[in-house]
Amino acid sequence: MSIMEYNGGAIIAMKGKGCVAIAADRRFGVQALTLGTDFQKVFPATDKIYFGLAGLATDVQTLSEKFRMKVDMYHLREEREITPKTFAHMVSSTLYEKRFGGYFCFPTIAGLDAKNEPYICNMDGIGCITTPNDFVVSGTAENQLYGMCEALWEPDLEPEDLFETISQALMNGVDRDAISGWGGIVHVITPEGVITRTLKGRMD
Amino acid sequence: MEVLLGITGKDFVLTASDATVARGIVVQKRGEDKSRALNKHNLMLFTGEAGDTTQFAEYIQCNTQLYRMRNGMDLSTKAVASYVRKELATSLRSRNPYTVNLLIGGVDPKTGTPSLYWLDYLSSSVKLNYAAHGYASYFCMSTMDRYWKEGLSLDEAVNLLKKCLEELKVRFIGNLPKFVVKVTDVNGIREIEI
Amino acid sequence: MGGNIEHRFSPYTDNGGTTLAIAGEDFCVVAGDTRQSEGYLINARYSPKVYHLKNNAVLATGGMHADGVALVKRIGQNLDWYVHKHEKQMSAPALAQMLSTILYSKRFFPYYVWNTLGGLDENGKGCVFSYDPVGNFEKQHWSCSGSAGHLIQPFLDNQIGHKHQSNVEHHLLPLDQVLKIVKDAFNGATERDIYTGDFVEIFIITKDGVTVQKHDLKKD
Repeated sequence: MSIMEYNGGAIIAMKGKGCVAIAADRRFGVQALTLGTDFQKVFPATDKIYFGLAGLATDVQTLSEKFRMKVDMYHLREEREITPKTFAHMVSSTLYEKRFGGYFCFPTIAGLDAKNEPYICNMDGIGCITTPNDFVVSGTAENQLYGMCEALWEPDLEPEDLFETISQALMNGVDRDAISGWGGIVHVITPEGVITRTLKGRMD
Repeated sequence: MEVLLGITGKDFVLTASDATVARGIVVQKRGEDKSRALNKHNLMLFTGEAGDTTQFAEYIQCNTQLYRMRNGMDLSTKAVASYVRKELATSLRSRNPYTVNLLIGGVDPKTGTPSLYWLDYLSSSVKLNYAAHGYASYFCMSTMDRYWKEGLSLDEAVNLLKKCLEELKVRFIGNLPKFVVKVTDVNGIREIEI
Repeated sequence: MGGNIEHRFSPYTDNGGTTLAIAGEDFCVVAGDTRQSEGYLINARYSPKVYHLKNNAVLATGGMHADGVALVKRIGQNLDWYVHKHEKQMSAPALAQMLSTILYSKRFFPYYVWNTLGGLDENGKGCVFSYDPVGNFEKQHWSCSGSAGHLIQPFLDNQIGHKHQSNVEHHLLPLDQVLKIVKDAFNGATERDIYTGDFVEIFIITKDGVTVQKHDLKKD
């Protein structure tokens, strides 16, 4: 079994009209054994940037702490908030620092930039960034999420419609993956603020 | 074949570890305590590679006690868990990592609020209401899923623990005749017989 | 010089492709793309893998194309013999059982085919059966398999099975809506799966017989 499939998990980010959404499942498990159902995989970087980490749970925790420190240091040194694009490149170079023998994590980033333009991206375990203009998915339910997003997503969704779209994509996607699910969490980032909702799901 | 169990209750954490030291097919000792008190209100249980376990546990124990001497206050359970996770995560990417699985249980000395952290040798750390390490998790998690509830009394928790140990007796191939059972609450850490 | 040359022959290959079937109240829809590929090569852009059988059941095959052809030929022969013996066509559920038996008869040299069978049962209701290569099968309301099976299945759960939709009346969808969902499913799958594309052929089974639609999919 691949080390990327040791703990399981699924993450999506989607662009909307002047807003972005990021969602993840909440399972923590070791292979087929589920131990926790409130595991955090999506983290705030700033008020307008969230990042999700899919992959080995220990690296999810290590990297989330590392990124928090780096964002705080940026804030102190530059006396301004980091932009999503800069943050993405910070994440990328942090991963590429460990090009040979790296972290087993695929990050996903969603945020609004200084002009409140939506930004999403994801990358592989060594920091190769992709920035599509619709949605990104990662985790053990990647295929299922691609199928869902490709069929459900449409351009210029308003925050509430984006929430429904990303939630439906997540919940139906993870139900066809044995090691993702056990509830979900969705953050919709708008210029006015972040809407965070937890989702109930099948517990099997 | 090593087993660790932890259950949080209303104002305590109940923990159990098997008392067997085995190497290969030989039982070397019965009556080993696989836990260390980190401070008055926090207990750490450990399994894993022989040697790594006590070495790592006592290193953590020494450092938490040093923290108290330097700062005149104890680390909370959450703080201990974060510290241990960092130590283990650093070790994981070193030349010879510690192969240690841990449960860290403790209470807030003022409010008595219990917390229990599950850490594996990869240094994944999760806060759980009840936890198990080793083969026990395959036998006992379902029992605890069924019977654990918020605010268990000590008697109820002991009964739940007994159910888990009974399940191990019936269905687990390993022979674990003795468990060291401890309660951590505002009064400190004490061993109990069940 | 010196070294032994080893010759290995593998009797199997995967020709990709995606199929699905959905049962309705008085109809059944079976669909499959028509791309036939091997690795990064496209062998054919129109090589149908969904077959209209003589008893008005429709069989979608996926996996190895040659095995699919051989299997369908054998089923066709069995259907003819059945007519000669019983002077009637075999029902779809009977065919479902027979297909399982045929597949299991080759348990140790299987047809490398993932089948999905659609038809109408004795009461005229739509029915879908899905199989693995050795004949495990299950009657379902909707099913999807093949290279983009993982992509489409949750979408069908959501749209056909109304999964995770509260405050929605759970009912079997009418044909026009099912057709829209099938096209959306294949267009979505074509976007991400390199083995799915070119055309989608949709077979619609009703009591009046079987009709076929062919729609374009992206060819990249």
